[in-house]
Amino acid sequence: MPEFDLRFTLYLLTNGVMIGLMYALIALGFVLIYKATDAINFAQGEFVMFAGFIAAGAAEYIHAPFWVAALLAIGGMAALGFALERVVLRPLIGRPVIAVVMATIGLAAVLRGGAVLAFGAGTRAISLPIPDDPIPLGPVTLPPVEVVGATVSLLFLAGFTWFFLKSRTGIAMRAVADSQQVAMAMGINVRRYFAFAWAMAGIVSALGGIVWGAMLGVDNQLALVGLKVFPVVILGGLDSIIGAVVGGLIVGIVENLAAGYFDPIVGGGTKDFVPYLLMIIVLMVRPEGIFGRRRIERV
Amino acid sequence: MFHREAGIFKTSYAADMALYPLPIARWAVAVLAAFFVVIVPLTWGDYPLSVANLVLIAIVGALGLNILVGYTGQISIGAGAFMSVGAYTAANLVVHLHAPFWIALPAGGLMAALIGAIVGIPSLRIKGIYLAIATLAAQLIIEWTINHVQWISGGVQASITVPRPSVFGVKLVSERQIYCFLMFFVVLAIVATLNLVRSRIGRAFIAIRDQDIAAEIIGINIFKYKLYAFAISSFFAGVTGALESYYLGIANYEQFQIDVSIDYLAMVIIGGLGSVLGSVFGAIFVTLLPIATRWFLEASGGIFFAQADMLNVIPNLRLVIFGGLIIFFLVVEPEGLNRLWRNIRNYFRVWPFSY
Amino acid sequence: MTILAKSMLTLAAGIAAGLAYAGSASAADKELLIGDQCDRTGPTQIVGTVLCPAMQDYYKLVNSKGGIDGWMIKADEIDNAYKVPEAIEAYERQKQMGALLMTLYGTPQTVALNQRLEQDKMPTTSPGFGISAAADGTRFPYLFPVAATYWSQAAGAVKFAKDQLGGDLKGKKIAYIYYDNPAGKEAMPILEALQKQEGYDMRTFAVPPPGVELGAQIIDITQRYHPDFIIAHLFGRSPSVLIKGLKGAGFPLKHVIGLVWASAEADILAAGGWNVAEGYNTLQFAGAGDDYPVRDEIKAMYKKDGKDPPKEMADTVVYNRGLLQAAIQVEALKNALKISGGQKPTTEQIKAGMEQIHDFTLGGLVPPLQITATDHEGGGWVRVFQVKGGKFVAATDWMHPYHDVVEKQVKSAE
Repeated sequence: MPEFDLRFTLYLLTNGVMIGLMYALIALGFVLIYKATDAINFAQGEFVMFAGFIAAGAAEYIHAPFWVAALLAIGGMAALGFALERVVLRPLIGRPVIAVVMATIGLAAVLRGGAVLAFGAGTRAISLPIPDDPIPLGPVTLPPVEVVGATVSLLFLAGFTWFFLKSRTGIAMRAVADSQQVAMAMGINVRRYFAFAWAMAGIVSALGGIVWGAMLGVDNQLALVGLKVFPVVILGGLDSIIGAVVGGLIVGIVENLAAGYFDPIVGGGTKDFVPYLLMIIVLMVRPEGIFGRRRIERV
Repeated sequence: MFHREAGIFKTSYAADMALYPLPIARWAVAVLAAFFVVIVPLTWGDYPLSVANLVLIAIVGALGLNILVGYTGQISIGAGAFMSVGAYTAANLVVHLHAPFWIALPAGGLMAALIGAIVGIPSLRIKGIYLAIATLAAQLIIEWTINHVQWISGGVQASITVPRPSVFGVKLVSERQIYCFLMFFVVLAIVATLNLVRSRIGRAFIAIRDQDIAAEIIGINIFKYKLYAFAISSFFAGVTGALESYYLGIANYEQFQIDVSIDYLAMVIIGGLGSVLGSVFGAIFVTLLPIATRWFLEASGGIFFAQADMLNVIPNLRLVIFGGLIIFFLVVEPEGLNRLWRNIRNYFRVWPFSY
Repeated sequence: MTILAKSMLTLAAGIAAGLAYAGSASAADKELLIGDQCDRTGPTQIVGTVLCPAMQDYYKLVNSKGGIDGWMIKADEIDNAYKVPEAIEAYERQKQMGALLMTLYGTPQTVALNQRLEQDKMPTTSPGFGISAAADGTRFPYLFPVAATYWSQAAGAVKFAKDQLGGDLKGKKIAYIYYDNPAGKEAMPILEALQKQEGYDMRTFAVPPPGVELGAQIIDITQRYHPDFIIAHLFGRSPSVLIKGLKGAGFPLKHVIGLVWASAEADILAAGGWNVAEGYNTLQFAGAGDDYPVRDEIKAMYKKDGKDPPKEMADTVVYNRGLLQAAIQVEALKNALKISGGQKPTTEQIKAGMEQIHDFTLGGLVPPLQITATDHEGGGWVRVFQVKGGKFVAATDWMHPYHDVVEKQVKSAE
């Protein structure tokens, strides 16, 4: 292992924290859907991508200024969330898990092709209304895009935690996730809350799409960030909001440390598979993740 | 009137346990076999045969995945990785040891089976969607390993050129010859799978899928059988990978990435989980889908889109149709093409009476 | 009948109609069919969505001028989404349609189809990707890189670095950041060979596909290794991420050079724009920029039809590469027609026609290629363009440095 360099490690840790919070932004959408409707969404990356397309497309075709484009993306994704819940999830309620998984996989393909059909091929950029120069923080510097992403992530963490603990709607959604039948018996309109959860996931994806799109550029390859979701949510717990953030942080930090210290030994590329290795270990030892709820199987 | 079961009496256990006990079924299979094994290779041209070859390879892989997902109920997104294990094993044996195909193919399958069993070990403790995600991790880790370990991947390019196999001294060069070669393995795979699912092991698999806790209680060692399921399914996948590298002429892990795993999962689900005929249908359907949509759009797209846009539209519309059909099948006909076939067959069972 | 049955029947009818159409498609009289493959939806769509329309535009231009001695060009394009089985199916289909010349797309696809090319005697171009050893025309008779392979590009990058660092690389540090797949790793043998020759220190940094996040590599390079020069061999998304990250870390972009697929307008724009990428050097195998007569001709062609030039023309790098590839193919067809005496040329004649191309520069867009029966690369010409003041400015002339080293590598590769 190469010698330990404090400044270098600090850089790696900072980068890890920032990128981890950005991963968390994507994972939050996934967790929302799973928490409220028990569906594993393999199309989370495509949600983020589609949101990016809406924002970039608005900027290109109707020359919308940034805030308008952002609002269009948020509104569009909320509407998409509603629509998808109705068309894809509703008919599959009660079916085995693999059916919903495959449906979201199919949905991923539809969104990937559909985004290009709707907005046109080619790669576009999203420019955030923030300065380009890195922000110095002590010995390290932070790229502004990542600062925005991290802040949004933390805001959502605070917002959603409050939402699920204190607000009526949030408590109702937790009840629905716990037991649909009892919730219905208590007079909760389960269908409305399902739709609401997917719409919220759409909104979170919209912000993720804007930030990630600003960082990487928008085209149908943006969806690949979605693959990172799995190590994050397995580590954190599939249905835990704070787990998404903590899981994201862990994955981000582990990735960067691995790239900095393992790569030179192995010849590169450890960054991508170390989180998956970690994920498998977690699955064997504590499958519900750090903050997830233990599933009790009834015979 | 056609599919008559009345009047057929079996007088021995062997007759009762035969794969196709009814004469009509035997005739149908014989006609199909004659068509696909004899007539097709003699009459079809190079291009249709090349498409058929791709379908044949897919059938073997789909059958394997079906054993794991359809009969044993373990979701696996790692099919592609096992195929690349089989492909590289066979390729290395051919290139370094000049192994003939009847050693390289089973060796590829066995190596894949070994890796498959290892990947299946977590299934002792993980179930359902968690197992699926673990297999996804296995897919990515195996890809990484092949990319970085040079004595497997054959160098920086990670692709090994595989010369065509020689059967009884004849080098298989034309599409026609490859078709016959592949058909042999497809028939072998279909017969093997049909017999497997009717055997004791197959029944254990089905028990695990349906009620695994009850199965354990009546004495089935579910861990052992789950490992068998992973191993056998991976064996099929390894053979598929080796066959594909023989056909394409190279072994390259970039051909076996996660999109391939998802394609095979789609084949098994659209075809119908837990049915051999379903896997065959699914393999044909998913392999032909991109080709067919391209033809269809080329023929009719000119009505809707300008010529220049067409080139961008066709591939994206293809993706939309692929995903849309998956969702459509899941929502409308969850038991897949196999169920559709059964419906047709049952209709003819009592035809011309409707009840 | 159930709705499902009805929809299946309609789908089947559609497929049957499509099949009938497909069966009937083929090249008509006085038409030369070129089979093109492209990636418009896969990982390199940032290239495919510009390169392939450029080729179509060039063919249209040639046809608008009466074709080649009266023969019209028909180009059939199929998207292979950078996948190998689709590439094979596309090849077979176009072969059945009567294609005389193929344009492949993608390194693994080219490797996979190589055997068939030899069997079918089908000449094919693979500029800027594919098998570097295919420069050797005797071993790969039907594969024509017709543009600097990764090996020649790497040699060009090292020469540029040498010139920029005062003419001597001894003891200097070069960082090679590359996409962690076979195409990305291909340049390494040349870099290692030149390392021995020139005496520089080199460290390699792998970027695993899809390369969406390079923070750790950039930190490693800029904070720990402190190289004098960075050579980047990246594709798809990653070049723009690299440029942005290096700028953010304060590394001087004028000491960075990207090989050909890290060097397009789209990469600059996705990185944040021309002022962000100021100073970044790009290696090109076709001339970059708008200042070429053939581009003006295409714009005029569109104007005559009453249309605006297509938005793909805003790209002056990848679009020009498409023009180069199409132009070389047309030149080969022209030579083949001379060989065949005005009859429809066979594929072997087209191969011979390709091998006669020399001194063909298309107004400076194309380097002075000399394609012969033994050299299918044409000499390995590259040119460096730098991002300066909002556009690409030529920083060197056409060069093919270390050609002997590259040739040795070509001979020794198996």
